[in-house]
Amino acid sequence: MMPINNLILVTGQVILLVLFAPLVSGFIRKIKNNLRMRKGPSVLQPYYNVQKLISKDEVISRHASWIFLAAPVIVFASIICALFLVLLAQLGPFGNNDMAILIAAFFVLGLGRFFLALAGLDTASSFGGMGSSREMFISSFAEPIAFVAVFVLCMSGADTFRISTLLAGFAILMVTLAETSRVPVDNQETHLELTMVHEAMVLEYSGRSLALIELASHTKQIIFFILLSWYFFPSMTGGVWGWVIFPGKIAIISLAIALIELSVAKMRLFRVVDFLSFSFFIALLASIAAGLGI
Amino acid sequence: MINFLPKQLFFFDPLAVFFLVVIGLVCVPSAIFSIGYLRAESLKRKILSWVLLIIFAFSMCSVVLSGNMLLFLICWEVMSLVSYFLVVFDFKQEKSIRAGIIYLVMTHAGTACLMAAFFILYNHAGSFDYAAVKQSFMLLTPQLRNIIFLLLFIGFATKAGVVPLHIWLPYAHPQAPAHISSIMSGVMIKVGIYGMMRFFITLLGPGPAWWGAFILALGIVSCLVGVIYALMDHDLKKLLAYHSVENIGIILLGLGTAMFFGSRGKTVVAVLAMCAGLYHLVNHALFKGLLFLCSGSVFKASGLRDMEKMGGLIKKMPMTALFFLIGAMGISALPPLNGFVSEWLTFQAFFSGVLESQGWVKIFMVLSAAALAMTSGLAAACFVKAFGISFLGSPRSVRAQDAKECGFSMKAGMALLAIPVILFGIGAGFIMPILLSISRAALGVEKADISVRLLSVLPAMIAVILLVIGSAVFLWFRFGLRNKRVSYNTWDCGYYSLDSRNEYTATAFSKPFRIAFSFFLLPYRKSEKIRDSFYHVRKFTYETHTTSVFKRFLYEPLLRLIYSTAFKMRKLQPGSIHLYIFYIFATLVGLITIAAIF
Amino acid sequence: MMLSIILSGFLVATFLLVVAKRITALIRSFRIQAIFLSLYALYMGLSQRHLEMFIVCGLIFVLKAIVIPFVLLRIIRRINVEEDLGLLVNPQLSLIIALGFTYLSYLFAHNAMALTDPVESAALAVSITVVCLGFFIMVSRMKAVAQIIGLLVMENGIFLAASAISGGMPFFVEIAFFFDIFVFVIIIEVFVYKVNRLFTHIDTSKMKSLKG
Repeated sequence: MMPINNLILVTGQVILLVLFAPLVSGFIRKIKNNLRMRKGPSVLQPYYNVQKLISKDEVISRHASWIFLAAPVIVFASIICALFLVLLAQLGPFGNNDMAILIAAFFVLGLGRFFLALAGLDTASSFGGMGSSREMFISSFAEPIAFVAVFVLCMSGADTFRISTLLAGFAILMVTLAETSRVPVDNQETHLELTMVHEAMVLEYSGRSLALIELASHTKQIIFFILLSWYFFPSMTGGVWGWVIFPGKIAIISLAIALIELSVAKMRLFRVVDFLSFSFFIALLASIAAGLGI
Repeated sequence: MINFLPKQLFFFDPLAVFFLVVIGLVCVPSAIFSIGYLRAESLKRKILSWVLLIIFAFSMCSVVLSGNMLLFLICWEVMSLVSYFLVVFDFKQEKSIRAGIIYLVMTHAGTACLMAAFFILYNHAGSFDYAAVKQSFMLLTPQLRNIIFLLLFIGFATKAGVVPLHIWLPYAHPQAPAHISSIMSGVMIKVGIYGMMRFFITLLGPGPAWWGAFILALGIVSCLVGVIYALMDHDLKKLLAYHSVENIGIILLGLGTAMFFGSRGKTVVAVLAMCAGLYHLVNHALFKGLLFLCSGSVFKASGLRDMEKMGGLIKKMPMTALFFLIGAMGISALPPLNGFVSEWLTFQAFFSGVLESQGWVKIFMVLSAAALAMTSGLAAACFVKAFGISFLGSPRSVRAQDAKECGFSMKAGMALLAIPVILFGIGAGFIMPILLSISRAALGVEKADISVRLLSVLPAMIAVILLVIGSAVFLWFRFGLRNKRVSYNTWDCGYYSLDSRNEYTATAFSKPFRIAFSFFLLPYRKSEKIRDSFYHVRKFTYETHTTSVFKRFLYEPLLRLIYSTAFKMRKLQPGSIHLYIFYIFATLVGLITIAAIF
Repeated sequence: MMLSIILSGFLVATFLLVVAKRITALIRSFRIQAIFLSLYALYMGLSQRHLEMFIVCGLIFVLKAIVIPFVLLRIIRRINVEEDLGLLVNPQLSLIIALGFTYLSYLFAHNAMALTDPVESAALAVSITVVCLGFFIMVSRMKAVAQIIGLLVMENGIFLAASAISGGMPFFVEIAFFFDIFVFVIIIEVFVYKVNRLFTHIDTSKMKSLKG
């Protein structure tokens, strides 16, 4: 069994990160707005949104079943659980066991996605179905990339800059864009019915359920940023020192994501396959490099 | 002739007992389910069904327990024949007869290969006993060993439904009654896997490395092809049949890895992979059995198998929907249910394989892992489609509107399969050591140092975390907040007459996949417009289909070849009795000559 | 450590070249690759303390990352040609082929050259890959611009190979090389312009019709 104080440590980190997660989204939005020469809302806007949503009444579709009500809770729980597992893996030196824990974390993320996609179909609206179909489509292509990248990380270890981990990190960066519904794949900022993916799926949600889903997607973003930080900032995770520079790492990643979002245009859905297959081949390249020990 | 009758009739070892347990786990609930399912049939047909069912179950048990190849072959044939009669149980439907014929031909082609392999083995061992076969096999030349391997593989793979020999599955499984589909898909195709495990690992193994690589490669192909076809199919039972192909592929991933590393002497990886394969095998038996029973329950309640006509069933049949959801979560490998544990174990086996190998093998392992990841992602998408379209939303037809929940015995049958689906996930800590010891015994490894202690509790840990956070949030929502929940129409862009025709359909749901995999599925469409005038279209029909690559490019040419040969052969049979007697005479002379020369 | 970062960036840029479907995307990816190459030269200059390497770095940056892409983009604008590159091999298959080349070149670099330092042999492997992929781009893309870019990519690969094996070519050879490349691009620009004027396309696969 793992030591009990590790569990307590990780639990503390989870609580801290969940509280910290909306700030990152606010920060990215702020950077984007500033670069576009706009003032933009405050960095704390995501917190205000959550607070506002919790205080409001909730409207539920007549067609909805218990799946619709249960989905936000399951999504939230699964994403917290995934964060827990990711932080648990971070304690180790990225060997055999940590690989297993990380893979489990991705499966847990899949649980949340499954229920969210079901909820999209539950309200008998075509937008919801459209969103679920696209979300499952994108994620089923993103999942192999993430798995290969995790394999590479655990083959090479994260102690210094290596060609393998850097390439895998690049692949994970593309997966992050897809999974956190960022620009070349999806757009968080528009609510145009025909192009949205994630937003279409949660279109029918309101009130506290929506608050929970938003909180969950901020947390999911943090999970992927932590993953990215392993690849691009190796040997800087452990101990107190790792936590001191953690906000700096997240800020750099946020800046990079914001820059990417501003400089590329959104792709057609079927171009996403090309985008992700490119990423998959980079991940495979990384695995070759990792196999050769470079 | 002295050794013809085998000495050893039955053979108990951990592997056989494991399969016995799997057979029992699925057959008993399916039998209970059949009480309700066959209620409307006449007494005669009820008795017939029960007799066939019992023979079917016993034949499978004796295949697994048989200690020699002769009994194996006899029971195998009984199993095939009885399952044929069960497939054509609804013999008044033309579809059933057709499905039955395809099944019969395929299964006998497989059995022919098995017989050939068994007789070659008998020829060299001088006995049908497993023990004698095991001893003599090592003395054979490598070429002969490879031929035996391929023959056995074709025989077992036909039963198991490995691509490209899967062609009978999507015909036979949907036509059989639900409880039979459940047993066939849950257990009978696993008997094929049993054959592979028995022969390739315990009796004839460890063989050369390419055996394992070959099975692994076919496993990859099977799981991807199965799941892609499943995504395209909107007949609930056909979809499940294609998922059987997929899951057999996943089991083969474990088996192939075990064989590959077993032959290279990396026992730790081999044991882990074998354990993963066995775990997925029992898991698939459970959730696939459950899903077939649920589809049977839906069929009984509404007469529907086409998902596009269902919808909203969760309100009419809450228990069936719950059971289907559990099965769907299991098969989509969602934690903390059982499918997750076995796929996760397979990934661990791949990763230890990566660490234990060099060069191209590493890349092969990574590719297999990627294929498995893709499969599980696509399977999740497929079951979002299956559950979401058929159980959620609003009813798409009158029949779906009038569906009623099934009776007690059917519910009990489903519950008996649904509970283990959950237990085998959360209780991985208890199951894994048992399966590890079975795989150790099968591979003949004394001790394998595998640290699964920490990891086997992980599923339970995930379950606890999910439960704690979920219930905390639920309680907070329920009692901590004062604001209301209002029920209102789904947002319809101000259209105000949203009905079931506005819902997303299964075809639409799978469209992105159809386009992404168009290089393999070769989709085509037909559209027809009936016009009053140029400007006014009265009726518009639109169809889209995918081409079955294997049927079109493998089986149809083969069939054409057989037909054309048969037409040529007809000349041999002009109806003259003298000629026939001449044939007999010529054969006799030929035999005498051969016997005289050799 | 820095070398790993530069090499992986260089490799990703090369793969971007392989999947590019449009002419501008191809030229942009080439620019990224050139920037990484100049970084590589800078790194070599810093680690070996050669003044010439800095000049080479500056030349690469100015010529390949700024001037040549600018010239090419200008000609594309001037002749107003379609954006589509005309792929004979689709991006996914191209990637598979590229992956195969990468693996083969690593085996070659590892077995044939027997370098001790893993990163150094990786640099050689990357350079061979880049040469092969330059060839591949020339072979499998229809528009004339792809042939130009393919040749330049090969030149990048050769530069990398030379500096990976022997620490760089003699300085004057290097300079002459750059001059050559520059003149080549200018000539090609005029050539492509003329071809487009005469035949109203720059599709090299249609040159088959020229034979009698």
